[in-house]
Amino acid sequence: MRLNRDDARTDAALSFNATPMVDVIFLLTIFFMLVSRFSSAEQVPMQLPQPDDSRAGVARLADRVVINCRPADPTDPTGQLALYSVGPNRPEPLSVISDRLAAMRRLVPGLAVVIRADRRLHYAEVRAVMQEVARNGIDVLNVVAHVGEDE
Amino acid sequence: MTSSSDKQGTSRGRHRERSSRHFRTRRRRAAGGVRISVNLAPMIDVTFLLLIFFLVTTTFERAEGVFTSQLPRDAGVPSVALPISPIVVRVEQTGLAHDDYTIELDRFENQPATFDALADVLRAIHGRPGFDRETPIVIVADDDVRWDHVVGCWNAALRAECQDIAFAQP
Repeated sequence: MRLNRDDARTDAALSFNATPMVDVIFLLTIFFMLVSRFSSAEQVPMQLPQPDDSRAGVARLADRVVINCRPADPTDPTGQLALYSVGPNRPEPLSVISDRLAAMRRLVPGLAVVIRADRRLHYAEVRAVMQEVARNGIDVLNVVAHVGEDE
Repeated sequence: MTSSSDKQGTSRGRHRERSSRHFRTRRRRAAGGVRISVNLAPMIDVTFLLLIFFLVTTTFERAEGVFTSQLPRDAGVPSVALPISPIVVRVEQTGLAHDDYTIELDRFENQPATFDALADVLRAIHGRPGFDRETPIVIVADDDVRWDHVVGCWNAALRAECQDIAFAQP
């Protein structure tokens, strides 16, 4: 009689099959590992230009310096004044950035400049950076925009 | 009669199961002397941690690309080639709102209203005699034009497969 009861208990024992859960977790982990791209500290958050059917390409530049140009007042839709910074550094006057560029250009002759400018800024604010880049004898200038949806 | 044969069958089945379990255990012990098992718990822990990390850190953003350009040298050599009249594209801001802008093409009757239309007009101009993809495009933008529209103009010229795009002061 006792034996029978034990058998009945064993037969009715509840078990948790963890295999499907582990499978799903593995799949999710692999998905996130594939889609994650760690953004560089140089990429200061801003609204980049979004041209229709963008032809912006992916450039692999070894010796480059990123100049971020963003509105001084992000709530101002007219984008009158700009803040300039080299990479993740704090904002500096354009004259200081120009001196930095000249020093970097002496060290690295093939230096390329990447301008990340907010789409709301006035052209004059960005053109000032372009002029400083050209004045320092830098040949390659890259302008950042969002790439098309299909890329 | 039926119930007794059922009972017999059940007890035989149990006996078979027990004996096979016993046999399996004996075989395992006989093979290595030690029961080999993989403890999956640490692996599942690490996988969970990785999953939570990626779930928390992942932000879906649009990818960034670049428009590459070569800046002119300030000490240029005078060209002996015949001057080619460029296609001048003027972008002006007409109001304070972001999308208050106009696009004008010098010397051409077709005036595009949007950057899509600008790309089409430039493609049409390339088909005319004396113009091709190598005809220079000069973008003249006002100081107060939004940077978005300047890049839009540049992108439209690239869409029209223009190979020589330059910027000029208004």
